[in-house]
Amino acid sequence: MSSDKPMNPLEMLAYIIAKQIEDHEVVYIGTGIPMVAAILAKKTHAPNITFVYESGGQDPEHLEMPWSVGGPMTWRKSPIIMEMAYSFAQAATGLIDKGFLGFAQIDMFGNANTHQIGTDYLNPKVRLTGSGGNNDVSSLVDKLIYVGLQDPNKFLKKVDFITSPGWLEGGESRKKAGLLNDGPVAVITSAGVYDFEPSTKRMRIKTLHPGVSPELAQLASGFELVRPEGEIPVTERPSKEILEILRNEVDPNGLFISMPS
Amino acid sequence: MIFDYNQEALKNLQIEDTSILDRLVDYRQAREERQRKEHYQRDKRMSLKEAVAELVHDGDIWCDGAFGYVKTGLQGYWEILRQGKKNLQAIGSPNTNMSYGIPFGNVKYCHSSYTGAEMRGIDKSFSRNIKSGKVKILSDWSHGLMALGFKAAQLGMPGCFSKQGLGSDMVRFNPYLKVMQNPMSKEDDPVVFVPALCPDVIIIHVNAADKYGNCRFYGPAVNDIAVAAASRRVIITCEEIVSNYDIRYHAKGAQIPFNNIDAVVELPFGAVPGYMPGEYYWMRYFWEKLFLMTQDDETYKAYIKEWILDTKDVNDVIEKAGGIEWIKKSRRRARAAEGNIDPEGVSFVYRLWEKGMDTKDID
Repeated sequence: MSSDKPMNPLEMLAYIIAKQIEDHEVVYIGTGIPMVAAILAKKTHAPNITFVYESGGQDPEHLEMPWSVGGPMTWRKSPIIMEMAYSFAQAATGLIDKGFLGFAQIDMFGNANTHQIGTDYLNPKVRLTGSGGNNDVSSLVDKLIYVGLQDPNKFLKKVDFITSPGWLEGGESRKKAGLLNDGPVAVITSAGVYDFEPSTKRMRIKTLHPGVSPELAQLASGFELVRPEGEIPVTERPSKEILEILRNEVDPNGLFISMPS
Repeated sequence: MIFDYNQEALKNLQIEDTSILDRLVDYRQAREERQRKEHYQRDKRMSLKEAVAELVHDGDIWCDGAFGYVKTGLQGYWEILRQGKKNLQAIGSPNTNMSYGIPFGNVKYCHSSYTGAEMRGIDKSFSRNIKSGKVKILSDWSHGLMALGFKAAQLGMPGCFSKQGLGSDMVRFNPYLKVMQNPMSKEDDPVVFVPALCPDVIIIHVNAADKYGNCRFYGPAVNDIAVAAASRRVIITCEEIVSNYDIRYHAKGAQIPFNNIDAVVELPFGAVPGYMPGEYYWMRYFWEKLFLMTQDDETYKAYIKEWILDTKDVNDVIEKAGGIEWIKKSRRRARAAEGNIDPEGVSFVYRLWEKGMDTKDID
């Protein structure tokens, strides 16, 4: 695929997530865009990162995009393949630097839901997948980053079910709950990059993607986004070279970076 | 044992008769069942039909193995459906045994951790069946919490404490989990107590086993090693029954020991339509069509009937998917995926199923 084709929001997402990964980090990777981003990081600025997957695969030799977090691309020629309990335990014991997760809903304090739409557990509007490893990764890794598309149905004042605790009710509430780590450090969406205001722990705009105004970002949110002081920086776009690597080497079949039609 | 469940969760889940919850955490009773077995290395070979008829009972807590469509003993599961076992409780991380088990009423209860198909989205049939009450969730888990429950049972511990689960709504919908103070700390240190989990039965598919049940496999263990020890009854299906010497003189040795095992079934292609490390690739046609067949109950039931209830065994299933041609392509694709042959000319492209496509269009 040519790099002249305009960049789509999923490619932008993949690039920004990739930028969050530093060389030499050990990263816990969930299904989808995070996989694309981590492979992009490895092929560009972070060649020495180690991938960890929940089924037990670790540090595979890359060939194609994994289709499942249990599939062969997650343990291709892996030097060691863990059991699930120990895969997560590595995060609990302090050996995993970053984790990347998706969400169906997220709220102003970074609490995430992958359980259900609707608040009635016994009769939800839609039952989603449940936690899978979402709760474990969010509760145990050193630094957690959420990734997803942004709209007012996904960015809610209060999520319908807390699968993965964020900063809970803000302030000191997460610490009181006894979790090992801090709440999410960032939320990356199709509109911008967000962090959390240090004292209230409310979600705050960090940068907005090219063409996205604070008003537009706010329209795509069900709660009030905290604005930082001063001018809001524009998120850096990927260069032509990076797009080329993303399209031709990382996901040549467009499995993850093609927009659903 | 008399159990003291998480009361808030019982209330939220509207469980009045708690006896349905007991067997999963009754580690003493599970121990007694194991004590009654013969423990020496004996010949455990039998057919799949015999193993399922003898070792899977109506009402059992049925544990899912491996990782959904990777290394899971699906042909054994399909035999459970063909034999019409009833009132099963499904458990596992992930637990996709429900995806086939619920529509015809084989699975009535579940201990839920993850049901879905990653990139292809949620299981719409599961969602509908939760709403209609056809299946009832008895407890809600993360993968890691459930994995710890199996690990505790494997190691002979009544339970263990975790640092995941805190602050999550799952502890409000799981009668087995309790948030409590770390008894070793004078300072405030909340932990989640996770009891040892002892399923009744699991079918585990491996690459090779000897007739006593010493097992060797490739790819991720996921929870298989832990659950083999945690379960009351274990059926091994394997690509090949090998000699005891072959296990002894192989660098991997036995990853699951014989004494966990009740039956050894030689069942080549036993993970079909899933992926088997070192052996064969997903039956992509089956899955891609299945995801679209879950749109409504009748369509999905017809699909399950066509592939599971109306086939008599794995030979029929492979024949339906393209026979020897499917085997050849599938082998090659798995070998290339794992880096054992040159991937040139092997396609990993995925296509959604569309009306009119047959097995040749998505192999």
